[in-house]
Amino acid sequence: MADIVLYRPHFVAFIILFLLGIYIMVVSLNLVKKLIGMYLMQTSIILFFITLAVKKDSTIPIILSSATAVTPEAYANPLPHVLMLTAIVVGVSTLGVSLAMVIALYRQYNTLEEDQILGKMK
Amino acid sequence: MIRPHDSVIVHTLARVFIPIIQLFALYVLIHGHDSPGGGFQAGTLFAASFILPVIAFGIQGSLTVLERRAIILGGIGILLFAGIGLIPLLLGEEFLNYGELPIPGMEASARRHLGILGIEIGVTIAVAATAVSIYYSLRERGEGEGN
Amino acid sequence: MTSSLPGFLFAIPFFAAVVIPVVGFTNQKFCRPIALGTLVSLSIVSVMGLSEVVSHGPLSHEFGGWAPPIGIEWVVDGLSGLLMVAISIVSLISLVHAGPLVEKELPGRVIPFYSLSLLLVAALGGMVLTGDLFNLFVFLEIGSLASYVLVGVAGGRSLHSAFCYLILGTIGASLYLLGVGYFYAETGTLNMADLAQRLPEVIDSRAVLTGLLFIVLGLAIKMGLFPLHGWLPDAYTYAPNSCTPLLASVVTKVPLYAFVRIAFWVFGMTTVSTQIPILVVLGWVGAVAAIAGAYLAIWQESFKRMLAYSSVSSMGLFMLAFSLGTETGFAGGLFYVLADTLMKATLFGVAGAAFYQCGASTVTDLVRLRQNMPWVSAALLISALSMVGIPPTAGFFGKWHLVVGALEAEKYFAVAAILVSSMLTALYFFRMFQRVWAEPLPLVEAHVLETPFPIKMSLGVLTFGLIALGLGSDLVMGLIFESAIPKGF
Repeated sequence: MADIVLYRPHFVAFIILFLLGIYIMVVSLNLVKKLIGMYLMQTSIILFFITLAVKKDSTIPIILSSATAVTPEAYANPLPHVLMLTAIVVGVSTLGVSLAMVIALYRQYNTLEEDQILGKMK
Repeated sequence: MIRPHDSVIVHTLARVFIPIIQLFALYVLIHGHDSPGGGFQAGTLFAASFILPVIAFGIQGSLTVLERRAIILGGIGILLFAGIGLIPLLLGEEFLNYGELPIPGMEASARRHLGILGIEIGVTIAVAATAVSIYYSLRERGEGEGN
Repeated sequence: MTSSLPGFLFAIPFFAAVVIPVVGFTNQKFCRPIALGTLVSLSIVSVMGLSEVVSHGPLSHEFGGWAPPIGIEWVVDGLSGLLMVAISIVSLISLVHAGPLVEKELPGRVIPFYSLSLLLVAALGGMVLTGDLFNLFVFLEIGSLASYVLVGVAGGRSLHSAFCYLILGTIGASLYLLGVGYFYAETGTLNMADLAQRLPEVIDSRAVLTGLLFIVLGLAIKMGLFPLHGWLPDAYTYAPNSCTPLLASVVTKVPLYAFVRIAFWVFGMTTVSTQIPILVVLGWVGAVAAIAGAYLAIWQESFKRMLAYSSVSSMGLFMLAFSLGTETGFAGGLFYVLADTLMKATLFGVAGAAFYQCGASTVTDLVRLRQNMPWVSAALLISALSMVGIPPTAGFFGKWHLVVGALEAEKYFAVAAILVSSMLTALYFFRMFQRVWAEPLPLVEAHVLETPFPIKMSLGVLTFGLIALGLGSDLVMGLIFESAIPKGF
């Protein structure tokens, strides 16, 4: 157990952020706070992917001159970064759509608290 | 109704920073091939340079004609991206295969470079237009459901 | 065999979805012809693709010219070709049906409706055809965003249901992404075929097990498998009637396809039933879902909410069918999925027609169907009989093959679950029959509009399709057995 915290602290950080995001989503009554929790959860998954790409003593994955031989171990893995660019864009679009929905909900019910909205819907 | 900001520091610095942000966005777009950056990042920077005058100078400080046309610009940006990707498909090769774009006098890797630059410009236009239209639709008089 | 047909299957609806807002700003009347024309051409291309696959074998398309496993590959084989045909034809019929309803329910929102529906179809097609796990996630999110907005586009009561759907759907997609991350960390590849080759070496690691669990959980939220179906009843009930036929018939079936693809083609039949016995667990979950969904549907007064719980029950039956582990069970499940797309589209189409013509929303209100709506009543009768499972409709043959498959696998709890859920389904549909045909008409005759031609045509085509699918079930089952069964049975 201790070696996970000592040698793999990034996994511990990912787990804490993920669970924190889900906790915020479940517990908060305010709709915007739920969205904050959702985005925190998505960001923790992005963190998890990025930590898969790190290598010891590696440099940026761009070949500057074709004269020297290319060894794959010297370059950091670019694939998780590219995947996470897409995931960030997806997360931002989801956030945009959800904020538009929250604005519409506010204009309709004049409140952002979930329990008051449920009460007004009855 | 977004009122202009009170402080004169914000006004002055906004006036200075807006062109710098746009220049930096262009740099990020073009150098996305060799350093961190690319279409999406440049698009959000462009959008920031359009939202900053709204925050600093109030809603009259911005080009309000943009709000209805912004979605069309977004559509044009996506059509640029998908269109550049569609040309190889129509020629018989695969979708998004920029090495087969019909540009004479270039080798395949240079054609790929040009194709990627083209789609990044399309992505920048689309992302900037979308972010700006989302921000404009959050004003009080705007429509209910954003597209 | 490389072919450019899968590229066209993506490009056609995607381009239309982007062109419609640009063109629609000039004149709104262009939206509907562009949308319908696109879906007609998409249906033709997908039928061409399916016939090519049946005669020559799977088609593949490498995006960007990069060969897999480095590049993204799209594969049309028997299963995905069949589902693509079903998606394109059912979405075409749903959009035809939605014509009069859009003008009534969504007056200023015609452009977003058509654009988002086409984007949804493009995303569903992308999910079905792709051979890359991360590409599946991207299309899953695109389709989900389109459906969140479609559920909430009418405003009013639907906004809260759309918001709940958004939160739960995003959790599901994030869990799926996490599972893909675990697979990537363990094997280094995202391509499904390559992953299938690399998995046997690492199958005992805990990362693969956790990744599979996350993927199954995420997809279960997306498909509405009991008990993760919380978003489904509210979303289906309050979504505008123009959108519900499309949403209810195909949107939940594509995550189910994704699960089937990952479980049977990437992992393999023996792995998921013996080494990581996920199929056993999902069989029990499906059995409980089938019975619970049908039981909950009995107590609903609102017609669409009853149909929503019926969808939950059907999803349980699908999961049960795919977890049986025999060829007949798998093929029967696939046939029942195809039949269910037609059935749900018809039933929600009837709900939309009833709402358009006389404002009916509860089961008791449906009695007004007797007043002036012969086509709608006939469609309701045939599709309800098909849901219960009465020959010669398609639903009967689907359930028949399910029961035969369950008996072959000697899983008697599955047989019991299918029979009990069918009896409960009969209970609530016959209650509806009694309300519609055996109760006296209300004294106050409400003004009932004439059935518009698009609604008549779409409901007629769907009903005809149900009976034709039932009578031609031998042909379709033969097609499924020939090209859509995974290896290892």
